[in-house]
Amino acid sequence: MSRFAPSLLWLPVALLLALPPRPAAAYLTVTADTDRSEVEINGSLYLTVQVAGDSSNVPEPKIPNMQNFNIYSSGRSQNISIINGKITTSVTFTYMLSPRFIGMQRIPSISVSNGKESAATREIEITVTKAAAAQPRQQTARPTQSRVGRAAAQRQAKAGSQIFLKAETDKKSAYPGEQINLSVKFYTSVPLTSNPQYMQPALKNLLAEDLPPVRSGETDLSGLRYSYSEIKTALFALTPGTAEINPATVIAQVPSNEPLDPFDANFFQKFMSMSGMQGKSREFSTDKITLEIKPLPKGAPADFSGAVGKYTVTASADRQDAKTGEAINFSITVAGSGNLKAVTAPKLPDLADFKVFDTMSSLDVRKDGDLINGKKTFTYILVPRAAGSKTVPAVTFSFFEPESGRYRSIQTKALALNVAKGGQEAKSVYFNPSGAAPQVTASGSDIRYVSDVPRAGPVADSADGINRLPQWLHLFPAVLLLCTFWLSRFNRFKSANPLLFRFRQARGEAARDLAETEALIKAGKTAEAVSLLYDSFMDYLSDKCGIKVSALTIKKAVEAIKQRFPGVGERSIAEISELWSALELRHFAPSAAEPEGARDLAKKYSLLIEFLEKELKKK
Amino acid sequence: MKKIFLICILVLPSAAAAFDRSELTEFNDLYRNGRYEEALEGYNKVTAREPANPWGWYNAGNAHFRLNRPGPAIFNYARAFKLNPRAADIRFNLEFALRQTGQKLVPESVPKALYYLYYLLSEGEIKALAICFFWIACLAGAAGFLLDGAKSGTAAARTALLGGVICVAMLAWLGARMTSTFSYAGVVTREGGTKLLSGPGANFKTYASAPEGKLVKILDWTDDDYYEIGLPKEGIKGWALKTEVEKI
Repeated sequence: MSRFAPSLLWLPVALLLALPPRPAAAYLTVTADTDRSEVEINGSLYLTVQVAGDSSNVPEPKIPNMQNFNIYSSGRSQNISIINGKITTSVTFTYMLSPRFIGMQRIPSISVSNGKESAATREIEITVTKAAAAQPRQQTARPTQSRVGRAAAQRQAKAGSQIFLKAETDKKSAYPGEQINLSVKFYTSVPLTSNPQYMQPALKNLLAEDLPPVRSGETDLSGLRYSYSEIKTALFALTPGTAEINPATVIAQVPSNEPLDPFDANFFQKFMSMSGMQGKSREFSTDKITLEIKPLPKGAPADFSGAVGKYTVTASADRQDAKTGEAINFSITVAGSGNLKAVTAPKLPDLADFKVFDTMSSLDVRKDGDLINGKKTFTYILVPRAAGSKTVPAVTFSFFEPESGRYRSIQTKALALNVAKGGQEAKSVYFNPSGAAPQVTASGSDIRYVSDVPRAGPVADSADGINRLPQWLHLFPAVLLLCTFWLSRFNRFKSANPLLFRFRQARGEAARDLAETEALIKAGKTAEAVSLLYDSFMDYLSDKCGIKVSALTIKKAVEAIKQRFPGVGERSIAEISELWSALELRHFAPSAAEPEGARDLAKKYSLLIEFLEKELKKK
Repeated sequence: MKKIFLICILVLPSAAAAFDRSELTEFNDLYRNGRYEEALEGYNKVTAREPANPWGWYNAGNAHFRLNRPGPAIFNYARAFKLNPRAADIRFNLEFALRQTGQKLVPESVPKALYYLYYLLSEGEIKALAICFFWIACLAGAAGFLLDGAKSGTAAARTALLGGVICVAMLAWLGARMTSTFSYAGVVTREGGTKLLSGPGANFKTYASAPEGKLVKILDWTDDDYYEIGLPKEGIKGWALKTEVEKI
């Protein structure tokens, strides 16, 4: 026992060593900041939440429910740095906030958690002030409305419309991918009894991007004071041809102008609805707008991949000095105005000196001045293959510029890198040098790719084939089941009641014997015929009386018939005795069996059976 | 001669499959190059010709999704899901598209494994299995009656009983699926959502709206122009234009 004691003492120590090491310090951090601390009620501000961690995957922040702000996601950008094989990731999430209430408003603490660690930001205070004076606001609102749109609104106002909805675009024709701003304005000169409900227009051949916040203000149209709310949307056409903006709709509860008749049958109902300020539901729609989408001019550069807008392109590396086998972060940033979501990565030139790993793209979209702009960064991991002075050549990015109507090709600057010879440990890139298996983590999400599978599959095809069978065919097994059930019951009855079964079958068997006798007589075999008749008669009486043929005598047969069938008369009994005697005579004295006599016996036998069957049924 | 005939029999189906594959690959190439509208036209042809092929619906859903049309995308994914609920890609994309519209494929109160078990087979497959087990039960029952009293008869009777029980279980499963989210259901496909009216006509009051991509229950489809639809979670029902809601 004492020999094992030291090894037992080591067990807890070994267990402790086997436990995974606790992180020495928390690496997950989150910070939040706004681009301003004071904002007007009709303005907006940007909230930037930066989450940083020591792995290639950092969690998304949980944005708390904010009643005092409307929140719009405005993109995300990611930065990964790999130093000595250790990854530091920082993801910046941008949100656009438009305030809902005046006064001191708080953006609550925003938390992140990766399951092991948690972090939270501090609260941010924002002062929301009143909008600037009515006159200047009107002036700022006016430039967003074209002269044509204002004239149309004036016409509606002159026509006496108290409430109306107007939609207009800032241009009537555009190239695919060029930004078109749609403005939908809801005017009312009467107070509404509830918040109106806006239904976006259906778009054809267009992609939409919201341009928050909802602007509101007051304006004079044909001498009437109107309140208005404006919703703006950036649109991008998909293909040349025509694009359509179908009517937008607003459903509003407007006060009812119907006079109240005290003698009306529904007086109380109407009175109650008045007191509850439940107006009449009305629907307002805009006109359909058709846009001309011009085709892009011919002569696109070979590397043009559909980017439309006004862009700049830059390339950068996270360091200029590296060792062979070490990872260098190489980023290409496309910045400018246009539909950045549709911008694809520029084609990298041939980089024979490097192993290239695609990593991710990050997007930072801004909507300042109702213009979709920002930057999209494509990040690659470059691993130098050999030591020396290496160059990453210039990267070309081509786009179409709608303003000038021309294609433009721009280039990044070539990047020079000094690569030293790496050690043994630098031969491979390890994103996680701790020794544990590197984790595969998602940096974003998207739908899965289309399928090349041409058929539904054998299981589905078989099921389809079975379901297509005619319905009546399924009656077959059911009918078969019923038939076999009946047959089984019949067989059971037969084996359970052999006497009764013999009693019921006796007449049929006698009839068959009679037919056979006729055939024998015709064939001149009178003796065989009489013999068959005799046997048949014995069998018949045996079946009817329930007595074995070997034990059957006239006396026993008569007694049994009288006992079992009291309804059988004396005449029948006499006939039985007479036929029995005649058959016995001819059976045991074959010389007396003449054909005529045999035929008479068969006839007598037949008549007797007919007569007996009737008599036996009497109770 | 026999060999030539055999080769023809073996080669013809594979040649037909190769033709189909190249056709689908052609549409997928359009999709790959960002020509989603053209790819969608192709996928629509496939679904019109082979409505029981889930991959046509799935690919059409992808094209709609890329064109920023969540309603039609969810409708197409839901069709594909009904035909092949086991396909991981179909389930993933349906779940993804539903999440984009604030909905969930797996209800929070239901364990995921149980939900996947519930949707292990399509309705067509359950029906086909119920038919198969009905045949097995009847034929084994008939054999049992014919071999009444024999050992093999008892075995046949047991098989019949088991087949009958499974057939009833399949029918119960099918019945339960008839009340599930994707049976007698539709998707709001109109961009911007649909209005819920209090009756089947434009003269009725609008009292609610359902956003694009919302999965709804179709309660009545007998009217020519309107469906009566229900939103069970919200406890709302109303009438919506048939052009704005697609029946799955």
